[in-house]
Amino acid sequence: MLSDKEKERYSRQVLIPGWNQEKLKQANVLVVGLGGLGSASALYLAAAGIGRLHLCDGDRVELSDLNRQMLYSESSLGLLKVEEASRRIGALNPSVAIVRHNAYLDSRNAAEIIAGCQVIVDGLDSLEPRFILNQESVLRGIPYVYGAVQGWQGYAGFFHPPQTACLACLLRPGAFKPDRVPVWGVTPGAIGLIQAGEVVKWALGQNPSLQGRLLIYDGASLSFEIISVEKDPACPVCSRA
Amino acid sequence: MVIYLKAGGELRSKLQPDVDHFTRRVETEAGKPLSDILIGIGISPAFVAFAFKDGQLKRLDYTPSEGDIITLQPPVSGG
Repeated sequence: MLSDKEKERYSRQVLIPGWNQEKLKQANVLVVGLGGLGSASALYLAAAGIGRLHLCDGDRVELSDLNRQMLYSESSLGLLKVEEASRRIGALNPSVAIVRHNAYLDSRNAAEIIAGCQVIVDGLDSLEPRFILNQESVLRGIPYVYGAVQGWQGYAGFFHPPQTACLACLLRPGAFKPDRVPVWGVTPGAIGLIQAGEVVKWALGQNPSLQGRLLIYDGASLSFEIISVEKDPACPVCSRA
Repeated sequence: MVIYLKAGGELRSKLQPDVDHFTRRVETEAGKPLSDILIGIGISPAFVAFAFKDGQLKRLDYTPSEGDIITLQPPVSGG
């Protein structure tokens, strides 16, 4: 049941055909990684009225984060991202319940962090923990909203095995990794917001546009391309689930 | 046979496009998988995360046909 304040807060978005604010209030979303992608997705999910946000990151805020991680400001430097993110989101929308995980996701803590969440949003900055999230998504049958950025380029996808392919159908470990990924704010901003939009569609009971598909965004040429990602019969993760 | 390789993002400089800013014309033997074609033009498959043709994902073991236009995408790992 929405309070009078919530009815007023969301009064513009409930005008959108098919919108159901109560459904968003019931949603339980995990954002793993509170960098550029996670800043964008978590802020907009909170503003939209997602009922419960689980936030996971073990990092502290550095000056070099501030070109793209909009959850933070100079007063955040040296502080835990998960604490600063909670404070900022709480100030934006106090009706969102926040669950904090001050940890880097790994294979030992993943099950505990993901427990009870209905959808996983990827805000990570390396490939290995993404495969852990993907594996948990496959095991639990919950959606994994993939995002990754580099320079002007970004990828986003909505993987929901067994209905769709999984991340390991698209990517395999072992690809080249730069020492320090080049990135500026608009790329994770654009991809993070697309991820948030897909989560909201899913929470509303609509079909996410990127279900089983991958968006390839290139800010340098301002192109958006969407490709189909079919299940790989030889996938080391979802073909064995 | 001739195929056309396009590259996204930071792969463009490695591809050395010659048709337009994104595309390279490649002459290759029929029956070779994409990974071997890439090695033949000096691009390590490790720099390619995946490829696609006509909106469909293609893996690096895909064997191109005459005239194929294949887009190569780099690994993108940041957040």
